[in-house]
Amino acid sequence: MIAQPPPKADIIARRPEIIAGLRALVPASGLISEELRLKPYETDGLPAYRQIPLAVVLPETTEQVAAVLAFCHKNGVRVVPRGAGTSLSGGALPMADSVVIGLMRMNRILDIDYGDRCATVQAGVTNIGITNAVSAEGFFYAPDPSSQLACMIGGNVGMNSGGAHCLKYGVTANNLLGLKIVTMEGDVLDIGGAHLDAAGYDWLGLMTGSEGMLAMVTEVTVRILRAPEGARAMLVAFDANETAGRAVDAIIGSGIIPVALEFMDRPAIHACEAFAHAGYPLDAEALLIIEVEGSVAEQDDLLGRIAALCEPFHPISLRVSQSAEESIAIWKGRKGAFGAVGRISPDYLCMDGTIPTGQLPFVLRRIGEMSDAYGLKVANIFHAGDGNLHPLIMFDANLAGNFEHAEAFGADILKLCVEVGGCLTGEHGVGVEKRELMRVQFTDIELDQQRRIKSAFDPDWLLNPSKVFPLVDMPVTAMPGTAMPVAA
Amino acid sequence: MQTNFSSEQLADPNTASSNQVLRTCVHCGFCTATCPTFVLLGDELDSPRGRIYLIKDMLESGRPATEEVVRHVDRCLSCLACMTTCPSGVNYMHLVDHAREYIENTYTRPWHERMLRNVLQLVLPRPALFRMAVLGARVARPVRRLIPRGSVLGDRVHAMLDLAPARLPPSSDMQSPQVHKAEGTRRGRVALLAGCAQTVLAPSINEATIRLLTRLGIEVVIARGVGCCGALTHHMGRHDPAMASARANIAGWTREIEGDGLDAILVNTSGCGTTVKDYGFMFRSEPAEWAMQAERVSALAMDISEYLATLDYVPTREAPGLRVAYHAACSLQHGQRVLTQPKALLRRAGFTVVEPLEGHLCCGSAGTYNLVQPEIAGRLRERKLANIAATKPDLIAAGNIGCITQLSGGVPVIHTVELLDWMAGGPAPVGLPAAVAVPA
Amino acid sequence: MSAALAPAHESGVVEAILAARAANEPLLIQGRGTKAGMLRPVQAARGLSTRNLTDVSLYSPQELIISAGAGITIPDLEAKLAEGGQGIIAEPPDLSALLGTEGVQTLGGVVATNLSGPRRVAWGAMRDHVMGVRAVNGAGEVIRSGGRVLKNVTGLDLCKLLTGSYGTLAVLTEVTLKVLPRAELTGSLLLPGLDAVQGVAALSAALGSPYGVSGAAWLPADAAERVPELAGRGAVAVVRIEDFARSVEYRLGRLTTDLAVFGTPVLLDDGASRAAWRAIRDAMPLRAEPGDAVWRVSVRPSNGPAAITALEATGARCFLDWGGGLVWIAGPPALHDSVMATALAGRGTWTVLRAPEPMRAAVDVIPAEAPALARITRRVKAAMDPSGILNPGRLYAGV
Repeated sequence: MIAQPPPKADIIARRPEIIAGLRALVPASGLISEELRLKPYETDGLPAYRQIPLAVVLPETTEQVAAVLAFCHKNGVRVVPRGAGTSLSGGALPMADSVVIGLMRMNRILDIDYGDRCATVQAGVTNIGITNAVSAEGFFYAPDPSSQLACMIGGNVGMNSGGAHCLKYGVTANNLLGLKIVTMEGDVLDIGGAHLDAAGYDWLGLMTGSEGMLAMVTEVTVRILRAPEGARAMLVAFDANETAGRAVDAIIGSGIIPVALEFMDRPAIHACEAFAHAGYPLDAEALLIIEVEGSVAEQDDLLGRIAALCEPFHPISLRVSQSAEESIAIWKGRKGAFGAVGRISPDYLCMDGTIPTGQLPFVLRRIGEMSDAYGLKVANIFHAGDGNLHPLIMFDANLAGNFEHAEAFGADILKLCVEVGGCLTGEHGVGVEKRELMRVQFTDIELDQQRRIKSAFDPDWLLNPSKVFPLVDMPVTAMPGTAMPVAA
Repeated sequence: MQTNFSSEQLADPNTASSNQVLRTCVHCGFCTATCPTFVLLGDELDSPRGRIYLIKDMLESGRPATEEVVRHVDRCLSCLACMTTCPSGVNYMHLVDHAREYIENTYTRPWHERMLRNVLQLVLPRPALFRMAVLGARVARPVRRLIPRGSVLGDRVHAMLDLAPARLPPSSDMQSPQVHKAEGTRRGRVALLAGCAQTVLAPSINEATIRLLTRLGIEVVIARGVGCCGALTHHMGRHDPAMASARANIAGWTREIEGDGLDAILVNTSGCGTTVKDYGFMFRSEPAEWAMQAERVSALAMDISEYLATLDYVPTREAPGLRVAYHAACSLQHGQRVLTQPKALLRRAGFTVVEPLEGHLCCGSAGTYNLVQPEIAGRLRERKLANIAATKPDLIAAGNIGCITQLSGGVPVIHTVELLDWMAGGPAPVGLPAAVAVPA
Repeated sequence: MSAALAPAHESGVVEAILAARAANEPLLIQGRGTKAGMLRPVQAARGLSTRNLTDVSLYSPQELIISAGAGITIPDLEAKLAEGGQGIIAEPPDLSALLGTEGVQTLGGVVATNLSGPRRVAWGAMRDHVMGVRAVNGAGEVIRSGGRVLKNVTGLDLCKLLTGSYGTLAVLTEVTLKVLPRAELTGSLLLPGLDAVQGVAALSAALGSPYGVSGAAWLPADAAERVPELAGRGAVAVVRIEDFARSVEYRLGRLTTDLAVFGTPVLLDDGASRAAWRAIRDAMPLRAEPGDAVWRVSVRPSNGPAAITALEATGARCFLDWGGGLVWIAGPPALHDSVMATALAGRGTWTVLRAPEPMRAAVDVIPAEAPALARITRRVKAAMDPSGILNPGRLYAGV
C-alpha cells in the first residue's frame, strides 16, 4: 500500500471558509461538500486507494475552472482534476486537503470541421463521443482506449491514452492539435490550434501525459480521420505463448503493419468469451486478434499474407470475421477484458508495462513463475504490435493482506518490464500506483529534472498532488524563488 | 470491489445477495457513460457507479437511508443501461431493488411524496380505479392553470395531468380471463399478461396480440387471477404489495401450466416482462414450492417479439412504404436483452426500420418515473424525440406502453405488435398519419 | 568564436557543458551546422557539436525501433534503415539548397528543429516518432526520457519537449525513433489548372477520403515550373499514395473517380512521384533570391488559400503543402510584417527559416507567447539550463 502524506492541517482547519469561497464560483449543484456525498468521489478505477476529498466542484465553463483554480492558488489549496474517473493508476485519487475539480459537466462538442479534419470539444466529452459525433460523415477519432465508452478526452490528454489501434494511428499525443488549458494561477492559455506544429516549445506534447500536474485542460482540438473503407479482424489461435510471439515478429518483420495486433492468453480468452460471446477459441493457449483495413480486396490480400506468415507456426485455428456484427463482438470482448475479469475474480490489479516485443515469451514465462510463487492468478492482455502488456492480477480484497500481496506481484512484473528494456507504463500513467517505482526506471537526476519542470508550471505543487513522483528520500532542487515540493 | 459486511449482516439474504453484486463490481466506470442521468447531470452521484457506492455505504453502515442517498437513488430510472454496458456482469437491478426496499423501510418521505406514491400504488395497478382517475384528470385539465407550478407537488400534479390522455378508448372484452382459440391447427398454447394500466390506455395492443397469435395457430389464455405484475410497487421498494401481485400471477399461471399446459407466458409490455422474468429471484427465499413455481414462471416468460420470432410470421398486405423509427424500450433492450427480434419482425412486415442515435438512452418514462421525476423525464423525452426526429420517420414503433405514452404527441407511436398485426391482416392501428394510404 | 568542440562520447558533451557553465560562457549547440541560419542567431563563445556521436546502438526492424547517436547523418541513418526495408516516417526535408548551407544534416538536427516533410500531414511530425532521447542538460546532467519501446507514458514526456527546442534546453546525444516499412510503391495524381481555393478543396477531399493519402500539395504555376515532373501544366494540386503495389493502383483509381469534379488527374508513376515529392519535401519549388528571407507558416488548411493570396499580393513567392496548411514563403525581408499578419489572420504560426542576420536578431522569428506562457517558457528554460548557456536567444530574445 502506497502511503499518502498527511494533509495540511491549516487547510483542513479552514474547510468551512474554503467551501464558502468555492460556493460563490460554481452553480449550486456544482459544489459537493457533505461527507456522505463526497464518498463516491474518494476513488477512481483503482478502488484499492481511497480518500475523501475536502470538496468536489463541477464547473461548467473554462471561466469557472479558472476562477476555482485562482481561488485555490490564492488559498494554497491542492486540486485534483477528474474526468470520468476511469484511471487504473489512481490518477484521480484525492487527498483529504484537496478539492476535486470534475469536468464531466463540460461535455459539449464545440466545433467540427470536416474540411480541415479537426474537432474542438470540451474536456468532459467521452472519447467515443467524438467518434459518435463525426461517424455519420464517415470520420472517427483514432485513439481508442478500452474504456473509450466512458473515459473523457481531458483524461486522455492527461494520461496520453493509447488503445488497440494505436499501432497504426498513434496515441493521444499524435492526434492532438490544440488545447485550452488553465494554469494553477488561473490563467487561460491556448496551446496549438487547428494547425500543425506550433512554433516554440512543444507544450502540447509536454502537457499530454503530464497527468494533470502542469495545468488543467478544458478544451481539446483533435484530428479526426476519415474511416477506412472497411476493416476486418482475424482470430489466430496458438498452442503456446511463445509461438504466438514469434508469429507477431514474423508479421511486423514482413513489412505489414496491421491496424491492430492484440494478444490474449488462456485466462483472458476465457474471461472475455464469457462476457462478449465472440466465439474466441477456448482450446487455445494464446490468441491473436489481427485487424486490417481497406477495401474488401485489400483486406483479403493482407489477411491472406498474414495467414501465410502464421502458417509456419502451426496455428490451431484461424478464423476471419464474416460480418460487422462478428467484428463488433470480437472487439467488445477485447475492450471489456478488464471488467470481464471481474466475472472470474472479485478484484484485479491491471498492470501496464511495455516491453520490447521480442521479449514477450520470456516475460510471460517469468510472469507465470511469479504467479505460482505468489499464488495469485493472472490473465495477460497484450498490445502485441507495440509491446504494451496488461497482466491482470486477480485477488480478493476481502482477504486480509491479499491486496498488498497482489501489489507486490505487480511491482515485480513492472520491474521485470524495465529490466528487459521496457517501461513502467505504456498508457495508464504512473498515478499513485507506480509512484514509488519511478526510481526503477529513472535516476534521481532524471526525476529531479522532471520535478523542476513541474515546478515551472506549478511552483507551489498544488496540481494533482502526490502523483507520479516518489515522495520519500528525494533530493529536490526546486526552482529558484519557488516553494519546495512537499515531501512526506 | 472490497466490501465490509459483518457475518450478522450477511445472514440477511438480501444483504448477502447485494454483497455478491458489490463484489462483482470492479469500479471501472464504464457504466457512467451510458447512464441517462449522468449524461444529463454530470455528477458521479447520479451515475450507476456513484449510486452503487452510496448504496454500499448505506448497507454496510446499516444506518437508515438519508435524504441525500434517497435523492440520488430516486433519480435512477432503473433503465438498466448500466447492466448492458457492464463488462463484469454486475446485477445492478437486484442491488437497486434492494436499496429501494431498504429506503422504504428506513426513510420517511415528506407527506406529499408519500401521498403521491400511495395514490400511484393504489390506482395504477387497478384498471377500474385507473380509468376513473384518467377521467378525473380530464375533468381537472381545464382548471390546471389554477394549480401553481414551481412547488414539488404542483409540478408533479402537472406532470400527471400532462400524461393523462385526453380521451380513453373503450374497454375491450378480449382482455378479460378467457381462452382465445387458435385458428386452424393449434401449434401452441400461451398465456398473455393482459396487464393493468395498458388495458385501460390501449386495449388495442392486447387485441392485436391475440389476433396475431391466434391467426398463427396459437391458443391464447388470459389466466384468471392474473393482474398487475407488481413492477410498480417493486420499484417503489414496497416489498409486500409487490410480492402479493406476483404471487397472484404465479398462482394463476401455475394453474394453467399444471392444467392444459403453457409453451410460454407472453408479455407485451416489456416493463412488466422484466419483472416477470425476475419472479424466480424475487421468490428465492420463499418456501420451496413457491420458489419452484416462480422459477418456472420466469423461465416461461417471453416478450411477445421473442416468441413471434420463433413463428413463421409473414405479412399478407403489400409493404406500406413506411419509415419506422424503432424505439428500443429499456426494459426490452437492457432488462431483457431483446435486441434484434422486434426490428427483424418489423422489417419482415415490410417496414423500413431506422434506429435513432443514442438508442441506449431512456426516454424518461421508466414506469412512474415521469410522474415522480418530471424534470429529468422531460429532458430525456426531448432528447429522445430530437434523436428520433433526425431519422425522419413516418411513425415510431415501441414495445412498451410506458414509452408509447411518454413519446406520444408528435409522430405517431405504435406498439410493434399492432404494426405486425396490421400487416398480417388486422385493422390499421389507430393514430396512423392520415397521409398514410392504408393498403387494402 | 573558438573552434567547435566535437566530442566522440557523451561524456565529452558533459565535460564541455560543465566547463562552459563554470566559465559562464554560452555554447552554440549544433550537429553539422546546416540549420545555423534558421531562427535567431546565437551569440556564443564556443560551439559544441554532436557530429561525432554516430553510433547505431540498436536497430530492431521487427520492433520498428532504431537508436542512434544524434550526430549520425540522415543519409547514413536512411542507409541503415534500408537494410531492414524501413525508413524515417516524417520524411525530414533537406533544406541545404534553400538555406544555402553545405553538408548533410544530422538526426539531432532534424529532431532539435522538429523538421518534417510532406508525410507529416498524414503520418505525423518528427516529434511524433521520437520514442526516446538521451541528452545532457545545461547543468551537465545526463537525462533520459522515453525509451526503446513504442508506447511509454512514464513520467513527463521530455522527448516532446526537447524535439523542436533547437538545442536551447539540452544537447541531444542519442535519439530513438519509431520507424516503419518503406512503401512498396508510390504513385501520385496531379490536378492541373486549379487555383488555390479549388486546389486546397481538392487536397481536402483527397485527405478526407478513405484512401490514405500521404502527401497533398498545391503549387502555383511558377513554383510547379521548378519541378520537372510537375512543370508545364500551370498551377497544380498533387496528392500521393504510398502502400503495397496493389493498394496504390487501386487507391489511385478510386481517387481519380472521386476527384473527377476537380478535373481529369494526370498519373505520376513511382519514379516521377518519388522525384516530385522529394522536390516538394526540400522546398525546391520555392525560388529564393539571394538576400531574400524564407518563412514557413502553418495555418488551418482551409486558411491556406487566403494566406497565399494575401502574400502573393505583396510580391512573395509561395506554395502550399500539408493539404494547404503549410505555406512556404520567399521574398524580401521587408515582408516579415505581412507574413506575421497572414499567419495570425489564419490563426496559425510562423517560422523564419532564413533571413539576413540583422533581421533575425531584430524580429520575432516565431510568434511571441502570451505573457503567462512566456513566463512558463522562461521557467522551463531555467529548469533545464539554469545558467542559460545552451543556444541562448535561439528562439526568443533573452531566453
